[in-house]
Amino acid sequence: MNKEEIIEALKTIVEPYSEEVSALAHIDENTDFINDLKINSANLVDIVLDIEEKFNIEIDNDSMAKMLTVKATTEIIVQKLEAHAG
Amino acid sequence: MLGNDIVDLDLAKTQSNWRRKNYLNKIFTADEQLLITSAKNPDDMVWLLWSMKESAYKIYNRKTGIRNFAPKSLNCVIHSDTGQIHGTVNVDDNTYFTKSDIYTTYLHTIASVESVKLKDISMAIYKSPNHLFDYKSTNPGCVSHHGQYLALVY
Repeated sequence: MNKEEIIEALKTIVEPYSEEVSALAHIDENTDFINDLKINSANLVDIVLDIEEKFNIEIDNDSMAKMLTVKATTEIIVQKLEAHAG
Repeated sequence: MLGNDIVDLDLAKTQSNWRRKNYLNKIFTADEQLLITSAKNPDDMVWLLWSMKESAYKIYNRKTGIRNFAPKSLNCVIHSDTGQIHGTVNVDDNTYFTKSDIYTTYLHTIASVESVKLKDISMAIYKSPNHLFDYKSTNPGCVSHHGQYLALVY
């Protein structure tokens, strides 16, 4: 799975938790879950759990701490998928 | 420096399913999870602990410049559970003091770096549609918005 495919999958995951139609339509690496998508912080946990299920990876607390933007989240998913494959 | 956090309990019911597998384990320490599972009202306890963490994080974030999502690194201790709920939240070497009020439809927590300052904090809570005004011009020390509620502290 390449970066673009991961961002596309992420978009599907975050959509139910955001009402910011325009920000969702223009989602890219720089999108911030809280500032741009106005996602409630209690729902960030749901996003982390959805990511774990979708990509079949485990996200540790230190990784979760960084998951406030699409860019950081994509990097973590790539890392975990690589570790999984190795 | 002040922190606060309001939870619209009706919205929380539909917005978040904390009973989902692994949910509690991602955000609460073992001690906090014990408080939740042994609580008379587990829903209230989940959102009480969550609002304590959020209100403390708002001070921590401004004080240290650190922006992260590490709810488990904020450790809550509740000191009393009659009437007003006092607590402390520890993160790294910082301790924040909290006071919470639980009502039927919402709960609100205020946080301060000094316990004696808690009694000097004044709060203003507005319910929709009365929350649509230029509150920033009132220069609040912290702002929290959730569902139908807007909470300001000074």
